[in-house]
Amino acid sequence: MALQNLKDFHRPDAIEDVLALLGKDEETLILAGGTFLRGLEARGLLSGVEALVDIRRVGLDKVVADNNGIKAGAAVTFTRLRGVVARQQEAWLGGLADALDRPPVQVRNVATVGGCIAAACPFFDVPTALLALDAELTIRSSDGERHLPLPELFDGLFANTLEPGEFITEVSLPRPPGNAAGAFLKLEATANDLAIVNVATQLSIDANRVCTRACVALGGGVADTAVRSAAAETILVGSRLDAAALQAAGEAVISDIDPMSDHRASAAYRRAVAKVMTRRALERAVARLA
Amino acid sequence: MKQMITLEVNGERHELAVEKDATLRDVLHDQLNLDGPKKGCDTGSCGCCTVHVDGLAVYSCMRYAVACDGAKVLTAEGLSAGADLHPIQQSFIDAGAVQCGYCTCGMMMSAKQLLDETPRPDEEDIRHAIAGNLCRCTGYAKIVDAVKLAADRLAG
Ligand SMILES: Cc1cc2nc3c(=O)[nH]c(=O)nc-3n(C[C@H](O)[C@H](O)[C@H](O)COP(=O)(O)OP(=O)(O)OC[C@H]3O[C@@H](n4cnc5c(N)ncnc54)[C@H](O)[C@@H]3O)c2cc1C
Ligand code: FES
Ligand code: FES
Repeated sequence: MALQNLKDFHRPDAIEDVLALLGKDEETLILAGGTFLRGLEARGLLSGVEALVDIRRVGLDKVVADNNGIKAGAAVTFTRLRGVVARQQEAWLGGLADALDRPPVQVRNVATVGGCIAAACPFFDVPTALLALDAELTIRSSDGERHLPLPELFDGLFANTLEPGEFITEVSLPRPPGNAAGAFLKLEATANDLAIVNVATQLSIDANRVCTRACVALGGGVADTAVRSAAAETILVGSRLDAAALQAAGEAVISDIDPMSDHRASAAYRRAVAKVMTRRALERAVARLA
Repeated sequence: MKQMITLEVNGERHELAVEKDATLRDVLHDQLNLDGPKKGCDTGSCGCCTVHVDGLAVYSCMRYAVACDGAKVLTAEGLSAGADLHPIQQSFIDAGAVQCGYCTCGMMMSAKQLLDETPRPDEEDIRHAIAGNLCRCTGYAKIVDAVKLAADRLAG
């Protein structure tokens, strides 16, 4: 397979140039790490593409980590972010660290934060972790800048809500309040496969060890997009995160997911393991609370 | 229309005219006659094509050559200094980690990134580091042995 209609391969070095190129009357695709895009090409899905715009040289490869959280440029690679997260050694970043560890090294070294969410693929791990961290996106177009909570980027299977001429420039992760910890778990068939089900959890507790904030996100074909489970979160907030609460939260995710059947697993199997995986991911986060 | 790029491959600079949608793997193999980066799947699932780009292991079938313009590339051929095999190469031979050999060049490049960063890896580190490389022959045990042996030799 190939890009039969590819006329231009641009490697701009400024965001303004990216915007100008996106504004041209051509079928143009942003290229970041290319790990998803190449897969589409191999399946013959990109034969109409006329121009690629490589965004890896426009200054979006920086990460800032401070007391407010983390801001990562869209072209930051998993390897780079993983390094920053590892240096932070903070429990609230535990789930992101777990998820960034899952793709093989050859993918981590090139796959980008922006690319993994723009792909709107429900089977990836890192987006599930970002969803549990309340990630907010910065989106640029020639009209200016806007901010979008991650769930509003997803528009069903492999579709995002970006308008023509727009692209993601930054992903920001606010530090959750209080004593917080996160965890992520993936169920996969083989070491180099995408998830059957994955779960990311994020918990905050007060001085009495009562849960003040809970985020439970699931991916891996439990729906057309990675999703949050409001039902599980409601059970957790106000609880003491004891075994009964974690068990009940695991059971509750069922009402927020609509799993698919595919070559990896049936919907019934995904539904069954989603409960168990959620409970285990919650246990893992609880164990990490200070 | 082809596009001009510059690559430094195994220490040697090349000016190349490449198809815009050519992968790094195809350019290394077809234009520079390097056999190390093998084509197994061409979609990032087998690891046979693993090379280093600017010091990091990547699937060369997943990178467009044009996007690598200006990069430093290391293939398995570049591990040895002439006839002197690199300790990773010698260890793969000594541990019997090569059967058909199709995965070997990619395995060694993943092993190299591991040993560059973690000179004293344990078995779990090694298995994690080669998770993106498929071997259909060995069952991995001897590959893990080879990487351990290479770590010992490199650490002196
Ligand atoms: C062998 C293999 C194993 C994998 N294993 C895992 C795994 O275990 N866990 C996991 O989480 N993921 C895994 N992945 C998926 C991987 O995380 C994604 O392919 C990757 O994150 C996509 O990012 P990229 O930079 O390569 O995107 P690209 O392929 O460059 O782009 C993806 C899509 O997003 C668009 N795009 C890119 N950047 C932007 C932007 N800034 N704004 C707007 N649109 C943009 C592109 O046009 C394209 O449509 C695996 C992939 C492969 C090939
Ligand atoms: S040929 Fe590149 S990963 Fe299989
Ligand atoms: S030795 Fe044959 S595939 Fe690994």
